[in-house]
Amino acid sequence: MPEPVQPEDRPPERSAAERSADHAAIDRLSDELLPALIAKLGATGLGELEVREGAWRVRLRRPADGTGASGSRERRPGDRERAARGAGGTSTAAAHGHAGLTPVGPGRDGRDGREGAHDRETRDGRDSRDGAGRDAGRIVASSPAVGIFKPKPEARAGTKVRAGDRLGSVDMLGIPQEVVAPADGVVGASLVEAGDAVEYGQELILIEFASPTSEA
Amino acid sequence: MFRKVLIANRGEIALRVLRACRELGVESVVAYSEADRESLPVQLADEAICIGPADARRSYLSAPAVISAALVTGCDAIHPGYGFLSEDEGFAEVVAAHDLTFIGPPAAVLERFASKAGTRALLAAHGLPTIPGSDGMLRDEMHALDEAARIGYPVLIKPSAGGGGKGMRMVRTPRELEAALRVCRSEAKAAFGDDSLYLERWLDENRHVEVQVAIDRYGHGVHMGERDCSVQRRHQKILEEAPTPALSEAARTDLCERAIRAVVAAGYENIGTLEFLVDASGAFYFIEINCRIQVEHPVTEMLTGIDMVATQIRIAAGEPLGFSQADVIMRGHAIEFRINAEDPAHEFRPGAGLIERYHAPGGPGVRMDSHLFSGYEVPPFYDSLIGKLIVWGPDRATAIARGRVALDELVVDGLVTNVAIHQAMLANETFLEGRMTTNLLDRVGSAAFLAAAARS
Repeated sequence: MPEPVQPEDRPPERSAAERSADHAAIDRLSDELLPALIAKLGATGLGELEVREGAWRVRLRRPADGTGASGSRERRPGDRERAARGAGGTSTAAAHGHAGLTPVGPGRDGRDGREGAHDRETRDGRDSRDGAGRDAGRIVASSPAVGIFKPKPEARAGTKVRAGDRLGSVDMLGIPQEVVAPADGVVGASLVEAGDAVEYGQELILIEFASPTSEA
Repeated sequence: MFRKVLIANRGEIALRVLRACRELGVESVVAYSEADRESLPVQLADEAICIGPADARRSYLSAPAVISAALVTGCDAIHPGYGFLSEDEGFAEVVAAHDLTFIGPPAAVLERFASKAGTRALLAAHGLPTIPGSDGMLRDEMHALDEAARIGYPVLIKPSAGGGGKGMRMVRTPRELEAALRVCRSEAKAAFGDDSLYLERWLDENRHVEVQVAIDRYGHGVHMGERDCSVQRRHQKILEEAPTPALSEAARTDLCERAIRAVVAAGYENIGTLEFLVDASGAFYFIEINCRIQVEHPVTEMLTGIDMVATQIRIAAGEPLGFSQADVIMRGHAIEFRINAEDPAHEFRPGAGLIERYHAPGGPGVRMDSHLFSGYEVPPFYDSLIGKLIVWGPDRATAIARGRVALDELVVDGLVTNVAIHQAMLANETFLEGRMTTNLLDRVGSAAFLAAAARS
C-alpha cells in the first residue's frame, strides 16, 4: 500500500540513531497526521492531498468511484466463506488498503512485509486454481454501494468501453449509485444477475482486453 | 420476536449483540466496513454484508447504507449498538419508515429526549434535581458569557450531540470560556457533525453515578441499580463499578427509585441510563440520559444476572418486560476496566496495528468482552476500545483482588494498551478507599499517576 519515498538526499547507510529518529517520525506521522488528513480528505471533495513536513512527504489519494473496493472479492451477501483479499487486478493495487487511501512515504516495515506476503499467498492460491497468469490482469467493475444491482442494457457483453463509462447502477434505497468501468476494454461476463442484492465492493462485471495501462 | 436482526456496529459490541441474538434464537447479519472484513464479529457471523469503506461516514454512520443492507438481507430490525447511529432520532425515524424496527427507544421517544436542556426540564418537572445549565444551546459568544455568569463559574462546555469527552472543556473564567468555545465547536463538529454547545455548572469534586433503567412499551419499568463511573480521563470513562462506594445503601435506593419514577412518568421506553453528578455532601443532580446500550452494561449484568442486550431486543420487539422490581436482585460488586489501545505514557495516544498475541484472563467472576484475537490487525479508523475486562466478587475487596490478577494475566502483545493505568488505579489509595472523583486522574496527570504506582 504505501509507496516508499525516501527523505531527500538520504545516504544509503543509516546509523541506528537515524533509524530510530525515522521510526519516531513515522510513528508521529501515522498517529497524528494521518487520521487528521484522512478526516480532511473525507470532509472535502478532493481526490488527493499532499503534506510536506521537513524531509517527509505524505500523500493521500482517493480512488475514483467504483474502484474503492480493495482488490478482488469472491464474496456474496450471505456467504460464510471469507473473501480472498487484495489479490485483484494489479490496476487496483493503488486502491489496495483499508480506506482506499494511499499514504505515501516510508511505511511501517512489519506492515508492508506482511501485506506483501498476504498478496503473494492469495495470488499463488488463485494461480493453482485458475491456471497461471490469466487472472493477474483481471479487471472488474465493482459495486459502489450495498443494494440491488441494475445493469445498463447498452453495456452488454462485447461492448467496447472507456474507463469511467457507466455499466449500470446499484440501487441504494431508491438512489442509483453508478457502476463504472475501471479501465478501457470490452465488457465481459457479468458475475451477478440483474436484481441481485450486492454488497459494497462486490465484483459485478468483468472487463476484458483491458488497455496496456492495466498491465494485463 | 424479530426474524432477523442487522447488527450495524463493530468490535466488541457487535459480538455482544450477535451472542444475544443467538441466545434468543434470532438470526442476525453483521454489517461491516471494508476495514473490518477480517474482524471477529464478521468471522463468527452466520451472515455478513459489507456496507461501505473504512470511513465511518460512508459505512457505520451512513443511514442509507445500513438500511439498504437490512432490506437486501431480509432483516426486520436493526441493532445500532452504541455510538454511530445509536441515538440518532432521524435514523430511527427512517428505519421505521422502511418497516424495520430500530432496537432502542421508538423515534418519537428519542426525539422527546434528544435535547439535553429539554430533557433536564422534563425530568425536573417529574421530581429530579438537575444541574444548573444554560437555557438551551449557546447562540454566540455573548450569549455564552451571559449564561455562564448566570450559572456561576466554573462551567463545563458540552456538545449537544455525542459523548466520550469530545468537545468538552471545563472553564473557570470568562476569558477561558471565550478561548474554549471555538475549540469545542470545531471538535464537536468534527466528531458528531453538529457544533451546538451548552453549558453546565461544574462541581469540582464530583462523582459520576448513573442509574440503569428498563421500561417496556406498556409503561412497566424497573431500575437495575446504579454504576459509578467517576474514574475518567478528560471526561472519558475508563473504569466503572457497582455499587457506588460514594453513597450508602439507603441513598442509592433513593436515587434509583426517584430516577425510575421520573423516566416512567416522562414516557421513556426501552433500556436507558440516567447520568447524575453527586457532590461531596451526597446530593445528586441529573445531567443527561443515554438512550442506548452502554459500554459499561456488563457491570449491571454481573450484579443482576439479567442480560441487558436481550432485554433491549425483547422490549423493542414489543414484549412485556416479564419481571418486576422485586425480581431485580443485586449481588456483590463488579468492576469494568476499559481496555483501550492507548499509550498512557504518551498522553493516551491511540495506536493501531497487529495483535501479535492475545490471551484473555479467566477464573471465577472474570469476564472478557473483546473482539481481539492473535493475528488481528486493529484498524486505525475507529474508537480505541479493544476490550472490556469485567470482574465480579462478593464484595469490593474481592472484586479488586480479582481485577489485579486478571489484569496481570491479560496479554495484548503488539500494541500499547492502557492496562498500566488500571493497575496503577488498583494501587491508588484514593481509589481503594472508594473516594475517587472525576478529576482524580487529570489533577495528578497520568504520568505522575503511573510513577506513584510504580513506587508503591
